[in-house]
Amino acid sequence: MLLLQCGFADGHCLIWGERNLRPDDPHSGAATKRTSPHPFAATANELNAALTAKGTTSQSAMIWLPTIADTPLPSSPLLGESPTGTPKVKPWQVAAVVLETDDLLGFLAGIGDRPTLAPGVGVGVTLRYWGEALRFASALVAREQFLPDLVQRGKKWFARWTPTIAGADATRIDRLARAMPPACRAIGEKLPDRAANEVLREFVAFAVDRLVRGPLPEKPRKQFDSIHDDWLHALKSATGAMLGSDTDVSQLATQVREWRAPIARAEAAPFRLCFRLDEPDEKDRRQTWEVRYLLQGRDDPSLHIPANDVWAGKASVARTDLKPILLAGLGQAANLSPDVDASLKTATPAGFSTTTDGAHRILNETAWLLEQAGFGVLLPAWWTGHATKQQLEVTAKVKSPPMSGGGGLSLEDLVQFQWSVAIGDQELTLAELQELAKQKASLVRLRGKWVQVSADDIRAAIELLKKKPAKIAARDVMKLALGITPEDTPLNARGAIASGWIEGFLKELTNATFAELEPPAGLHASLRPYQVRGYSWLAFLRRWGLGACLADDMGLGKTLQTLALLQRERENGEKKPVLLVCPMSVVGNWSRETARFAPNLSLLIHHGPNRAKTKAALKKDATNAAIVLTSYGLLARDQKLFEPMKWSGVILDEAQLVKNPNTKTAQAARAMTAEFRVALTGTPVENHVGDLWAIGQFLNPGLLGTATAFRREFFTPIQHHQDARAMERLKRLTGPFLLRRLKTDPTVIRDLPAKIETTEYCTLTREQASLYAAVVNELDKELGDVQGIKRKGMVLGALSKLKQVCNHPAQFLGDRSAIPNRSGKLTRLTQMLEELLDAGDKALVFTQFTEMGDIIRRHLQETFAREVLFLHGGTSRKQRDAMVERFQSPDGPGVFLLSLKAGGTGLNLTAATHVFHFDRWWNPAVETQATDRAFRIGQTRTVQVHAFVCSGTLEEKIDEMLARKRSVAAKVVGNGEAMLTELGDDQLREVLALRPNAVED
Amino acid sequence: MWFRDFYPKSTPKAVKGGIKAQSKTGAFGKSWWAKRWIEVLESFNIGARLGRGRSYARKGQVTDINIGPGKVTAKVQGSRPTPYAVTITLPKLTEKDWEKLVAELNTQAVFAAKLLAGEMPQDIETAFTKAGLSLFPKSLEEIETGCSCPDWSNPCKHIAAVYYLVGEEFDRDPFLLFRLRGTDREMICGHLNTGSGNAAVAAEPEPSVAPEPLPEDASAFWASTPLPADLCGEVRLPPVSAAGPKRLGGFPFWRGTDRLLDAITPIYSRAAERGLALFETENVTPHDTTSAQS
Repeated sequence: MLLLQCGFADGHCLIWGERNLRPDDPHSGAATKRTSPHPFAATANELNAALTAKGTTSQSAMIWLPTIADTPLPSSPLLGESPTGTPKVKPWQVAAVVLETDDLLGFLAGIGDRPTLAPGVGVGVTLRYWGEALRFASALVAREQFLPDLVQRGKKWFARWTPTIAGADATRIDRLARAMPPACRAIGEKLPDRAANEVLREFVAFAVDRLVRGPLPEKPRKQFDSIHDDWLHALKSATGAMLGSDTDVSQLATQVREWRAPIARAEAAPFRLCFRLDEPDEKDRRQTWEVRYLLQGRDDPSLHIPANDVWAGKASVARTDLKPILLAGLGQAANLSPDVDASLKTATPAGFSTTTDGAHRILNETAWLLEQAGFGVLLPAWWTGHATKQQLEVTAKVKSPPMSGGGGLSLEDLVQFQWSVAIGDQELTLAELQELAKQKASLVRLRGKWVQVSADDIRAAIELLKKKPAKIAARDVMKLALGITPEDTPLNARGAIASGWIEGFLKELTNATFAELEPPAGLHASLRPYQVRGYSWLAFLRRWGLGACLADDMGLGKTLQTLALLQRERENGEKKPVLLVCPMSVVGNWSRETARFAPNLSLLIHHGPNRAKTKAALKKDATNAAIVLTSYGLLARDQKLFEPMKWSGVILDEAQLVKNPNTKTAQAARAMTAEFRVALTGTPVENHVGDLWAIGQFLNPGLLGTATAFRREFFTPIQHHQDARAMERLKRLTGPFLLRRLKTDPTVIRDLPAKIETTEYCTLTREQASLYAAVVNELDKELGDVQGIKRKGMVLGALSKLKQVCNHPAQFLGDRSAIPNRSGKLTRLTQMLEELLDAGDKALVFTQFTEMGDIIRRHLQETFAREVLFLHGGTSRKQRDAMVERFQSPDGPGVFLLSLKAGGTGLNLTAATHVFHFDRWWNPAVETQATDRAFRIGQTRTVQVHAFVCSGTLEEKIDEMLARKRSVAAKVVGNGEAMLTELGDDQLREVLALRPNAVED
Repeated sequence: MWFRDFYPKSTPKAVKGGIKAQSKTGAFGKSWWAKRWIEVLESFNIGARLGRGRSYARKGQVTDINIGPGKVTAKVQGSRPTPYAVTITLPKLTEKDWEKLVAELNTQAVFAAKLLAGEMPQDIETAFTKAGLSLFPKSLEEIETGCSCPDWSNPCKHIAAVYYLVGEEFDRDPFLLFRLRGTDREMICGHLNTGSGNAAVAAEPEPSVAPEPLPEDASAFWASTPLPADLCGEVRLPPVSAAGPKRLGGFPFWRGTDRLLDAITPIYSRAAERGLALFETENVTPHDTTSAQS
C-alpha cells in the first residue's frame, strides 16, 4: 500500500509517499546522521509510477514527522500499527516529486474525494487537502481575481501574479486554513512552525501565479528598454526573476504599490458599499422603486448599516469612521450608474428613487456592473432566487382518447396537442399577451409578484398560441412532462397537461400510482409487499417499453423481483428470450436463483468453451430459452452473435459496471435490440451523477440528451457548482425510471425478517480450476494404495488444499504472490463490500485461515484505502477490545475480518449488518455462533448473512449435503468434512470432481 | 522667420525606456481636468513646438518626471548628449485658501465621494470659483516654465513634452493637481466631511501571525477535519476580460514598449480559461473497472 502525501513550503509543492511499515526492516543509522532517510517512504520511481504523470522532476526533501523510537508514525493504520510511546517530531529524508507540470496540476485538482487512485495507491489526507486548495486557487483564476505584482524574496525581486482575495473569498480561505492538517506544512529544512493561514495563502499565491503564467513560459530576456518591459517579460517567464538594477526595481515596486492602492484599500476596509433595491409598495400607484445605500460588513455580510446612520455619525464600529468608505464607494459607483452620480448632489445621500423601467435596468445591467466592481448588491428575492424566478413558460395541452380496456396503446401513438402560455401559475391568453407586447414594459406585476418578460419571449409566445393544434407522439408528451423542452421550442417548456389515457399514464409514471399486480402463478416464492411494488413497477415500465433501473439495497431481492417480471412475461405469452448480462462471479447465483424461484423459466448459460459459436447456433440454442445468461466479458466478445437476435428484453445486473459509456461492454449493451431494458444495481446511482448518463442511455436512449449536453446541463453544474436547480431537474427527469429502496426505509423494514441468509455462488478462475484439478488428480493417484487412518489423513489433507484453492491460489501456494483477479470469491467479496460500504453499512468477514485473512485484508485495504480490522489467534485481549470499540463507533472502520476460531465467541459486533462466511467450517453450529456476533441483543436492523460457495466444487457438494440434513443440523455437532472421509473411492471422486460451468471464461 | 536658420531642425538622441505617453495619436488627456491642464499649455501659442512636444512625449524622450508641491522637475533627452532640465512652477494656495475651499466642497457629497474614489469631481472648478479661488492657473503669467535647452522660446518643445505627460498623469491621479497647488490628498480628505480623515481607508498593517508549531501527537498531526462546503463560490468566466487592471486605470509613468493593458489582457483571458478547465477537472479513475470483470 502506498499513500500519497503532499506538502508545501517556500514556494515549492512536493508530493511524497508513505508505504507499509515493515517492522522487520533494519533501520538505517539514525543516531549518526542529523536526518536519516524515512524508512517507509516511497522512492522516486514508485512515486512516478503511482502518479502516471509525465515529465516530472524529483528531489529529496525533509519532512518533520511525529516519531517514536526512530520510527516515523504513519498517517493511517492502513500502513501498519504504530509503536507505542511518546512521539517527538523529527526530520526525515524522503523522495518527492515537484508539482510543476500541467499534468500534475490536473492530477492534484482532480483528486476530489476518491479514496484510491488505483489498487494499492491511496490518497493521503494532505494530498486531498492541497487538491482542494488548488481548486480554490483555480476558481480565483477562472474569475480573474489576480493582478500583476512585484515581490521581494530575500534580496531578489520577482514579478508575480498575486490573487486578490476579498469579501466571501476571504472568509472561505480562512475556513479552509482552519481545516488544514498540520502535516500539510511539515516540509522544510528547519522545524516548520508557520501558521496554517500563512502557508495556505502562500500556496494559493503560488498556484495562481503558476496558473496565470501557463505551461509554456517565455524565456527570460536579458535585454529590455525599460524597467516596465523587464517587468512584463518577467511576468511571462518561468521564474519571474527581475533583471533590472536594484534602484529601478525598487522604484517600480513603489509604482506598483501606488497602482494597486485602490484595491489594497478596498481589501483592507472592514465594510463595503452595498446597494439594496426595494420594490414599490403595493398601494403605490406611481410604482416608485427605491435604491438604498448601506455599508455591509466584510467579515459579517449580514451586518448592514444604512447610509443615514453613517451620516448621522451613529454608526461607529471599532472606532473606525465609516464616512470615507461610504464616500469612496459612492464616488466609484457614480461612474457605473448615472443615478448614483445624480444622488451625490446633496451633502448626505442615502439612495435614490427610480421608475419601473429604471428598476429593470438596474436588475439587468447596473446590478451586475456594481457586483463586478466589488460592491454588494441586494435584490428582491423573486429576482435572485433561481428556483422561484418566474418566466414565460409553455405547457403542452394534450387531448387523447380515454383509456379503453383493450390496451394496444403505445408511446408511438399520435395525439392532439396545443401550447398554452403561463407566467408562474397564471395562464395568459393571446389577448393578454398582445396587450403585454403593446405595453413594452419589461417588468410587470402579476398578482402582486414582479415578473420580467422579454419582448422576444412575448413575441415567441404569441406565435405559439396562434399555431393550429397539431399531432405529437405520446413519447414526446412524456418528455415534455418530465421537463424536456423540445429543441424547436423557443420558450422553456414547463410540462404537459393531458386528458384521456395519457393523463392516466403520466400520473402513474410521475406519481408512481401504477397498479400493484398479483405475483405470477409460476413463481415459487412469496413476494414481500415492497417486492410486489417493485415487480409491479418493473411491469408497468415494461408495458410502455420504458427502461427501468432497480437500485434497491443489497439483500432486498432485486433478483427475485426481476424473475417475477420475467415469469409474468412468459405467462403472458412471451416467446422471445431475455438477454441477462452479469459479472462472471454471479453467473452461478443467477442460474441457481432462477432454478429455485422460477423453475419454469428455461435458462441458457452462454459461457465456456462449449458455448454457441455462430449466430445460427445461438439462435437454435436460445429457441426454447426464456433467459440467455452471459457475462459482461462475453457480451462484448460475442456481440456479433447477440446483436441480430430479437430479444424480448435486455437486463444488466451490477449495471454500475457499464458506467463508462465508451467501453466495448457499454457499447455492446446499447447495441442490442429489445422491447424493454432493465438495469440492476445496489449502489446509490443517484449520488454518482457522472455514471447516470451511461445507464440512462442504455435504458431510455436519448432521454438524457447527448453526452455533451448532459455534461453541460447536469454534470458540470451539479458536480462542480452545486447547482440545486440542475439537481432538481435531473431528479424530475430520472426519478420515474429509478427505484431505490433502503433497508432502513420504514415501508421496507417492517417487511424484512431479522436475519436473511443467502448462499453466494462464486466461480473459479482458470488458474484456480487447474490447481483444483491437479490436487484432485494427485489424490486420485494415491488413494488406491492406502487404507484406514492414513487414508483419512490424506483425504482431509486434500480437502484442506481444495478449500485453499477455492479461497485463493496465493493461499494455496503460500508464495505471497499477486492478489487481484485470481480468485472468484475474493472478486465477489470485493464487489459486495464496495456496494455496502458505499451505502454506509458495515460488515463482518469470517475465514478459518489466518493466511487468507492476511490476503483479504491486504487486498481490501489496497482497493478501498480504508482500514480493515483483523482479529486472529495472535491478537491480544487488549488489542481485541480496542478493535471492537473502534468497529462499533460510527466513524470506525467498516470491515471487520475475523478468523473463525478467534472471533467466534463472546464479542458484540452489532454495528455490522452484513456477515460473510468467506470459507466454510461445514459446521452449522459454529457458523451460527459466529453469525450471532452481529445478530445480538442491541441489533435493531436486519442482518444479512452471505455464505460463500464455489459452484461446481466440493464446497457446493458439502453445502448440499448439509442442507439435506439441515433439520437435524442444529443438533448434529457433526462435521461436513468428516462425512467425506467415510465415502468410498468412487463416491469421493464424484464429490470432488469439478463440474462444468464452475470456471470463469 | 529668421530664427529658423539660426537653429536648424535637430534630431533628438534616441532614448530607450523613457516615459512614453499612453495616447498614441490625437489629443492628450482623457479626463476633463487633464484636458483643462493641456488647454492652458496650448493657449501659449507656440506653434509647431506643440506638435514636436507631443511626439517627444510619445517617443519617450522624457526620462524622468517629479511632481512636487508647486513644482514639476523633469529631464528631457534632446539632441545634445546631456538631457535638458525642465521645470514648471505654479503658485501654491495658502492654508486659508484651502479652508475656504473645503467648506465649499462639504456642501455636496459628490466632492468628497469622487475625491476619495480617486477622481476629480466635475464641478470642482465651480467650488473653487465660489471660494474665490482657481484650480488651474488663471493666467499664463501664473505658470513659470524653464528649460536648459538653447531654444529662446519658452515654452519650448521639451517643456511641452513634459507638460503633456503631466497632463496624462493627472488622468491617473487627480490629486497630483492638488499637490502641484501645494496640498495633498491626505490634507484635503482630512478636512472634508469625512470625520477623522481617512484612517479607515489606509491599509492596515499586516497583523503578525503567531507561529503554529507542529503537534507531537500523531492523530493531531494527521488530523483531517472535514473540508468546508461551498469552498469555491460560483465559478464562471467573467464577461469582460482584465476588469481588475481596467478598473485600476493607467500605470504611473509607463515606459513599456506595449501598453500595459494591451500586454496583459490576453494573459487574463487565457488564464481564466485554464483556471476554469482545472476547476472542472474530472475525477478520472485511471483503471476502468469494467475491463477487470469478465
